[in-house]
Amino acid sequence: MHLVVVGISHKTAALELRERLALSSEEAARFGRALLDDQGVAETVVLSTCNRTEIYLFADDTLAAERLAVGRLAERGGVDAAALRAAAYSHSGDAAIAHLFRVASSLDSMVVGEAQILAQLKDAYQAACGEGCTSTVFNKLFRHALEVGKRVRTETAIGERPVSISSVAVDLARQVLGKLDRRSVLVLGAGEMSELTVRHLQAQGVGRVVVANRTLETAEELARRCEGQAVCLDELGEQLEQADIVISSTSSPGFILDRPRMETVMRRRRHEPVFLIDIAVPRDIDPEVIHIDECYLYDIDDLQGVVDVNRGEREREAAHAERIVDQELARMNEWLAGLEVVPTIALLRSSVDGIREAELQRLGARLDGLTPEQRAQVEQLTSSIVNKILHLPTVRMKELAAEKDAYVYVDALRRLFDLDGATPAAACDLEGDWREAAGERAVAERRLAPEPEPPACAPAEAAASAGTRGVSGESDEVVAGAPDDALRQPAAGPDRRAS
Amino acid sequence: MEHAQVVTFWLSFLLYAAGFVYLLYFLITKRETQNRIGLGCVITGWLLQTTTLALRWAQAGHVPVVGAYESITTLTWAVVAVYLVLEWRTRIKALGLYVMPAVLVLLAVAWTAYSPPAVLRPALKSDIVVIHVIVIFTAVAAYVVAGGAALIYLIEERELKRRKIGPVLGRLPSLRTLDQLVNHAVMFGLPFLSMGIVAGIIRAETFGVGHWWTDAVVLLAVLAWAIYAGLLYLRHASGWRGRRSAWLALAGLVCLLAIRLVAVPYLSNFHVWGR
Repeated sequence: MHLVVVGISHKTAALELRERLALSSEEAARFGRALLDDQGVAETVVLSTCNRTEIYLFADDTLAAERLAVGRLAERGGVDAAALRAAAYSHSGDAAIAHLFRVASSLDSMVVGEAQILAQLKDAYQAACGEGCTSTVFNKLFRHALEVGKRVRTETAIGERPVSISSVAVDLARQVLGKLDRRSVLVLGAGEMSELTVRHLQAQGVGRVVVANRTLETAEELARRCEGQAVCLDELGEQLEQADIVISSTSSPGFILDRPRMETVMRRRRHEPVFLIDIAVPRDIDPEVIHIDECYLYDIDDLQGVVDVNRGEREREAAHAERIVDQELARMNEWLAGLEVVPTIALLRSSVDGIREAELQRLGARLDGLTPEQRAQVEQLTSSIVNKILHLPTVRMKELAAEKDAYVYVDALRRLFDLDGATPAAACDLEGDWREAAGERAVAERRLAPEPEPPACAPAEAAASAGTRGVSGESDEVVAGAPDDALRQPAAGPDRRAS
Repeated sequence: MEHAQVVTFWLSFLLYAAGFVYLLYFLITKRETQNRIGLGCVITGWLLQTTTLALRWAQAGHVPVVGAYESITTLTWAVVAVYLVLEWRTRIKALGLYVMPAVLVLLAVAWTAYSPPAVLRPALKSDIVVIHVIVIFTAVAAYVVAGGAALIYLIEERELKRRKIGPVLGRLPSLRTLDQLVNHAVMFGLPFLSMGIVAGIIRAETFGVGHWWTDAVVLLAVLAWAIYAGLLYLRHASGWRGRRSAWLALAGLVCLLAIRLVAVPYLSNFHVWGR
């Protein structure tokens, strides 16, 4: 019995293919269930997100199981099996475990360090467990994988700094203004990135959102989407006095906000700090504004600079994360190599002893006629039989403990003698602290609140609507699948092939 | 006893230094354990410093505030106490980063000014003098923290304005938090400073010190008071917050430090406690 994983991801397959093969966690679990008992597949977990669909299998004949899984998946998605095989990767044994750990640690994600994959993996595992698709090995493996993901998130800074323009902007706003609840945002003009930034801000608890545009209708549209208020650009003056954060992306060829005007605004605001984001090209806000006290102005280049710095940091942290994955891989192998042997033997003994005791109880009355010595002899006889029977298997198990596939025997023993006892449903309950696994660090200070990323699968709408906007800053966010991946080029071509 | 004192003094210094290093490490790596170890070092160091002061008190027979060594050591003790309280209340991580360097420097200065306990001049053996010293020290402790926060504020603000955002920047508290800290610390310290000045004036009057109002220490203290009071007033009246209030907080601290480091040893006629 061996472990194998086969699947496609953003690294090997284009969006169209991934779309066809995406499954919800219930569908994925049912799909996995259908694979069981075919071609000797004993355990399965199917992980499906918009960036990957992977099938983990524990089977006798891994090649056959792989072929089966790929075939069924192709059928399910209505794609050509050969095309799927060409775009799929597969790993077995150690490599499969390493792959799972890397996925859980977000090292294989489109945006390294993203927070969602861990929760998605947990859902996939729980759904599979609920459908009865997992047993000893996968229960241990996937729980360990979730632990690894959690460990990487807490011990490295891999997910700490934001790597998209809008989340960098929000992070900087927090650096200046502190907690963002009850702050007001003023949006000038409209655009994809402004909207995205507003959403991030709202996730941080921002209060009022006001949208100002030359045409009231456009303002109202965006305001409606963001649950804000729409005003005409004439009211700019008063709105500026109220706004703690200003996002500007109009198509105006000149400055909407120049230094003298901003100075007046600051005086009227009694120098309450203001955070200004200028994502328009040409710029809407006079760069001289940065020299005004309590004014903080960032244009698209500045934000991009921060994104680059943060990306670099993520990459460094990724190296650290890889080391953690290697360590955990070794631990996992140790377990697989038979740390479970000893408890299994103990369980076996106690199970068989239980049978012996039960039988002696059953005879109960009929043994009363015996003398104490005879009783003792009966006890001894039954004990001795039990010991002799178990002797050889015990010795063999201990010898096998040193070998790599001891878990096969351990698993067999557990099943044959029904040593586990616990029902699958109970085994599937993961503790409540898995909230943390989704990327929240358990620290009081708000500086480490989770990055407010929109779901990695903000789908084709983002692609479609931002297509022809004149403002170059906007179109950067348009990448099919994950807004956060805006400026990272996806790896070209499949880098792993089905073995 | 003197020997023991030296030992505890240096042990607490080393612990403070270790605490500072761990807090720095925490700032860089953000691993919670480093923060706890750092805090632990500082707390242990503070307890040892309390022992040092207790020993000195026993040795000298009076509250250890006479002479540069004693007063600076007591001051740093008060500063660390204020810092620990603020750390617990505000939960601003790595607050110690602003405070510990000042403490370490002041302790080093105290050491260079080490002298055996002096006999207290009879003029100074009075309750009101004790009150005066205690409240002044509390005020100064609060202002050291305010000054530290102000300094970090100014550095952070400059980096944010320059738009060069390194990874370390993200680990500092927000500008607003620092600004509020400066505000709270200044507000906290002002009543103590006022009480201290008034107590001192009362004492000077009752003791018949002539022309106390021309003494450098008094002038600097009043100047500092005016700066801090002005800071609070301008904040409310004209919206002088952030950068401007940070500079004022630093200016006030400079005055207070000048009292201890310049006025008392060189310029004051009566504001000396030993000899």
